[in-house]
Amino acid sequence: MGSGGVVLLILLGALGWALIGVLGRIAGWRAGRPAKVDWLAGLLALPRRYLVNVHEVVARDRYASTMHVMAAGGLVLALLLVVLVHGFGIASPWLAWPLLLACVLTLLGAERVLRRRADRPPRLSGGRWNRFGWAIGGFALGLAWFTLPATGVMADPGLLHPVSLAFAALLAWSAFELADGLAHGPMRHALAGALNLVTHPRAPRFSADRPVAAIHPIDLDAPRLGVETPQDFAWNRLVMADACVACGRCEEQCPAFAAGQPLDPKFVIRAISMAQGADHVDDRHYAGRRWPGLERRVGEGGAARPLVADGGLIPPAALWACTTCRACVEACPMMIEHVDAIIDLRRFQTLELGAVPGKAPAALAELAAADNIHGRAAARRMDAFVDLDLPLLREVESTDLLLWLGDGAFDPRGQRAMRAFVQVARHAGLELAVLGEEELDTGDLARRLGDEAQFQRLAEANIATLARYRFRRIVTTDPHVLNSLRNDYPAMGGHYEVVHHTAVLLELAEEGRLKFQPGEGQAALTYHDPCYLGRWNGEFEAPRRLLDLLGPGRVEMARHGRTARCCGGGGGAPLTDIPGPRRIPDMRMADAKATRAGTVVVACPNCAVMLDGVTGDYPAVTEVAELVLARLAVPAERVAA
Amino acid sequence: MASTDALFQPLTIRRCTIRNRVMSTSHAPSYGKDGMPQLRYQLYHEEKAKGGIGLTSVGGSSSVAPDSPAALWNQLDIGEDKVIPFLQEFSERVHRHGAKIFCQITHMGRRTRWDAENWMATIAPSPLREPSHRSFPKEMEDWDIRRVQQDYAAAARRLKEGGFDGVEVLADSHLPGQFWSPHVNRRTDGYGGSTENRSRFTLELFEQVRKAIGDDMVFGIRMSGDELLDDGITPEEAIKLARIHVGQGCIDYLNINCSHVYTERGLANLIPNMSMPVAPYLALASLIKREIGTVPVFHAGRIPDVNTAARAVAEGHVDMVAMTRAHIADPHIVNKLREGRVDDIRQCVGAGYCIDRIYVGGDAICIQNPATGREATLPHIVPKGQGGKKVVVIGGGPAGMEAARVSAERGHQVVLFEKAGALGGQITLAGKADWREGLNGITRWLQGQLRKLGVDVRLATLATVEAVEAEDPDIVVVATGGHPNLNEVKAQPGHVVSTWDILNGTVAPGENVLLFDDHADHHGPSVASFLVKRGSKVEIVTPERKLMVEVGMTNFPHYLRDLYKSKAVITPDTRLTEVYPEGNKLVAVLVNEYTDEEEERVVDQVVVEHGTLPDDEIYFRLKPLSRNLGEVDMRRLRDRLPQEIVRHPDGRFMLFRVGDAVACRNIHAALYDSLRLCLTF
Ligand SMILES: Cc1cc2nc3c(=O)[nH]c(=O)nc-3n(C[C@H](O)[C@H](O)[C@H](O)COP(=O)(O)O)c2cc1C
Ligand code: SF4
Ligand code: SF4
Ligand code: SF4
Repeated sequence: MGSGGVVLLILLGALGWALIGVLGRIAGWRAGRPAKVDWLAGLLALPRRYLVNVHEVVARDRYASTMHVMAAGGLVLALLLVVLVHGFGIASPWLAWPLLLACVLTLLGAERVLRRRADRPPRLSGGRWNRFGWAIGGFALGLAWFTLPATGVMADPGLLHPVSLAFAALLAWSAFELADGLAHGPMRHALAGALNLVTHPRAPRFSADRPVAAIHPIDLDAPRLGVETPQDFAWNRLVMADACVACGRCEEQCPAFAAGQPLDPKFVIRAISMAQGADHVDDRHYAGRRWPGLERRVGEGGAARPLVADGGLIPPAALWACTTCRACVEACPMMIEHVDAIIDLRRFQTLELGAVPGKAPAALAELAAADNIHGRAAARRMDAFVDLDLPLLREVESTDLLLWLGDGAFDPRGQRAMRAFVQVARHAGLELAVLGEEELDTGDLARRLGDEAQFQRLAEANIATLARYRFRRIVTTDPHVLNSLRNDYPAMGGHYEVVHHTAVLLELAEEGRLKFQPGEGQAALTYHDPCYLGRWNGEFEAPRRLLDLLGPGRVEMARHGRTARCCGGGGGAPLTDIPGPRRIPDMRMADAKATRAGTVVVACPNCAVMLDGVTGDYPAVTEVAELVLARLAVPAERVAA
Repeated sequence: MASTDALFQPLTIRRCTIRNRVMSTSHAPSYGKDGMPQLRYQLYHEEKAKGGIGLTSVGGSSSVAPDSPAALWNQLDIGEDKVIPFLQEFSERVHRHGAKIFCQITHMGRRTRWDAENWMATIAPSPLREPSHRSFPKEMEDWDIRRVQQDYAAAARRLKEGGFDGVEVLADSHLPGQFWSPHVNRRTDGYGGSTENRSRFTLELFEQVRKAIGDDMVFGIRMSGDELLDDGITPEEAIKLARIHVGQGCIDYLNINCSHVYTERGLANLIPNMSMPVAPYLALASLIKREIGTVPVFHAGRIPDVNTAARAVAEGHVDMVAMTRAHIADPHIVNKLREGRVDDIRQCVGAGYCIDRIYVGGDAICIQNPATGREATLPHIVPKGQGGKKVVVIGGGPAGMEAARVSAERGHQVVLFEKAGALGGQITLAGKADWREGLNGITRWLQGQLRKLGVDVRLATLATVEAVEAEDPDIVVVATGGHPNLNEVKAQPGHVVSTWDILNGTVAPGENVLLFDDHADHHGPSVASFLVKRGSKVEIVTPERKLMVEVGMTNFPHYLRDLYKSKAVITPDTRLTEVYPEGNKLVAVLVNEYTDEEEERVVDQVVVEHGTLPDDEIYFRLKPLSRNLGEVDMRRLRDRLPQEIVRHPDGRFMLFRVGDAVACRNIHAALYDSLRLCLTF
């Protein structure tokens, strides 16, 4: 037998092995719940999603991106050419040389993989991933050896030549290592990753305009609400979890992880992946970092076993430490949706087990009783604003701009920002109306705490109320309200144009309807992106442009825009209150302090409360509208309430 | 936060929705000009509206008729239509900031002077002398009753035309209350005798007022729930009166007071000073609210802090809580509370300087807030300036602390030297006199502000010329205060001691003490009370016609009560000229101011209060090094313009003196000196 035949034999064997593994994996995916998938659209979109969306994230890490282009590009090219050269035995140098080159490229890529492994940053997993570089390299080397004769540089030494034997062994080991990995190891990312791009449940996130980060509603009459076991996930979400490359970029961005709370988004995804492949697994062989604070913990699970439990793969605290900030999602090169998974898991805990920790159950109970988490009578929402004489939509019936007060109306910090906005807006001649006591909580918090039933109830009620009136746009100072009305309400039948007050203020300023004091000489300020305005709604620029109109001297925190660190106030985290050695808002204020700016400007009532609550020698916290009011050319006190 | 939530629930009365439960009750700050609320008056209340108050009730004791002269405390005259444009401007100004505005109207009856303004006889239900104004009133005839009622109704109508949200009739101790109180009303006709008869005047009056203002406007009354007089209105009687009048359906709220103001002692109880506990009469207001129940109850009476205020509302004692003097001290209370800056609230200390000033000196100003009543020229929030200068302040008494605060607010870098181990200066000293302890609140606030502003406060550090020069300052403010002046009495050193020595404890109180008060302010009587409480037998001697002529009505009755109770002897019209030893005793030589007759006292200790002389050594050492040689352009100072005098161009800094380092005055003067000067830095 010629040495080319050996290559063929090894590759066919490996392919068979891979096929068995992959079929097993597919069976696992198929055990998930059904999902509506538009295969054709997904397949057509695949190249773009891969080359644009994935590339955009991967390219943020230059080293990894070059590494991936070389290793993956070389490997794919080599595999294509191998079919021709060794499969069909076309020993043309015109094919052999490119194949050799592909092998060299792969080899160089493998070298980069190994070099990174030599000094592995802790976010990367070890274990089988440590062998991955050797396997790719070995595969390329073995292939190269058996391709040399076809290039004509040397004669075929024959299979029994000791060097050939050694290379055959190397090729065999590496091919089987890679093939096995297609179902059970690192190579799985290629298959599941591609499939994930095709079947991704959030197709809109790949579109060029703003992201639509809606949370998927669930059928409240379903026999089981939310996700308990891996098999309760839709099958394409199981594929998604399998796409994880354990790169730890999510972990690196996670504010809860950084605060030492027992949450690691990577571990959440890996746990789903681990559990779906077997009836019973434990995480003793998990090769990444352990849950912070629970380093010695061992969790168990399986395809049909609960994921979240005291002894489960995911500790309950992990679920409730999440601020739903989406930093992990934003960082993931594999387009994985951690927050969706966390919300699905929370839904089961909340709706089926009633196992919400901390002060969250009390808040949800208040919400059920009073339609707001503060348990206040509906009429109280207007208490802080009576002197503004805001027209009630009930009386005026139509308005251009409907001001949605939100639950910030019950909180002194939120009230201040809202009053400032109303003052500035009116000063510029804008007319606003409110729903007053007809306004209920949007249900946003309930939804994020997994209480989908309350969310749907409140959304339906609010949508029914809004249907009675005419208005062009809804404006709010609260990005959580904005996100809820803009992204979550359409699936419930409510379609509105919703704008953040910063956008309205920018419009007014750009139209010349607001005149500011000269901005020179004002102390430097830095802007904190609210997660729900930034990552959830893609609005990074408007608030910055507005601030720049007030004067020079805006500086950026190291983490800003898409990578901004959460204030700690989202997703009900302040209510579930999972302890950790550090506090997220403290860390954010330290970020702000490092800029040496005198003021950190916030654009969300939750951020204001969280960051204002940090005591010590830190920059002052000001809400955008408050700052705009203070910087109007007319002294703020002259701007009538 | 949750605990002060109760204050942030709006209250709706008729069509008037008040945004929160904090109000200022009507008071007469003596800012009226020709009987009209002109700019100063309006700005004073606009500031409270800006500061977030729910309701400001203005025009304390505003006059409705010519024989209730407005001129007495520069009150408002609502008795003529010419006031209406002023009222309109006023109400717009307050409404602009979302607050509501009421006005009190009154006929003072016998509680005024016949020789003021129009020289008309005072009137009352019965011809009984009013002690406080020494007036002998005319007993009202039928047509007096009629015209006064019509005057009230006409005044109420003017307020309505002026855009006011409400009108309040002041009953207690004024004409309506004079009808109600058996202490004053001895009539035997239909307007005297039974409670019903004593209510006839007001029932007729209230009906006419309501008719004049229609259904929309709020109409309430201020009444005493207990006159604290044996034959006056008791709580039972007050409840009866309240029931009768609320039952009539014309009035919308009851504003409950306690005590009376027929005498100065009564007034001292009505407006509790710092010697009295916080919220002394809340229980009385609460009682009336419980008994009546159908209309909201307002109440004022030494509620200086937001926690007490919140409790009063949250526990249901009252519906609106007044923080009247509290807003004189800080008109921005509500905003600060809302903004979570409770620490920044300058809390009223209850010195009563504001109210005392309308009886002694003229206008209501706050001992600790020089901007109050001067809103046209002084800001309550010091605007940030260019900054960039280095300011050295020498002395940490009120003048120095205020200079440091204002300079730092302007954005400058400030160093404050204080030779003692703590800030406060003479405030700390004055605060040692038992109930005067409350004065330390002034220091606490200033100190807190200095901390927030990052002023470099160097305690226990004497400012030498070298130390000052080492800071390379652009401006030096000398606020070194003074030391007691004992030079005016002939005596060997040690034979007379100062009031400071006594308060500081550097000299133990003697057994028989003669205290010579040649200052006529708080110093003498507060040290005399300090001494008697520590067992001394005290004779207090003054060349004045009476003791403490500079101390007003909310304070002097408390001192006199203490002194008389402890059998202190008060000797007016007499001057201490000499002290000499005799054995282990001292002989004090006293001379009568009018006869020159001499008498002597043999005592153990002689304490002299004769003000202070400036501690000006460092000032005079720095003077030749300064650019202005210490000179101040008085006109520019008055007009709040920057000081620009240069007498010594090589000088490295501008030099100023403030407070008692200039001359012996008081806390307010010290703060005012610094505020208006340093605002221009
Ligand atoms: C300067 C001054 C003048 C006052 N004049 C009046 C007045 O004319 N009519 C009145 O009803 N109360 C008057 N008051 C009393 C206040 O309305 C209030 O009852 C009193 O100050 C106690 O409340 P407080 O402790 O909140 O300041 C006056 C108070 C002050 C300080
Ligand atoms: S959403 Fe934010 S808090 Fe939650 S896992 Fe992701 S990064 Fe962590
Ligand atoms: S979930 Fe995404 S970001 Fe996180 S480790 Fe996996 S691939 Fe990396
Ligand atoms: S003078 Fe005294 S009593 Fe009057 S407001 Fe100021 S601090 Fe209060």
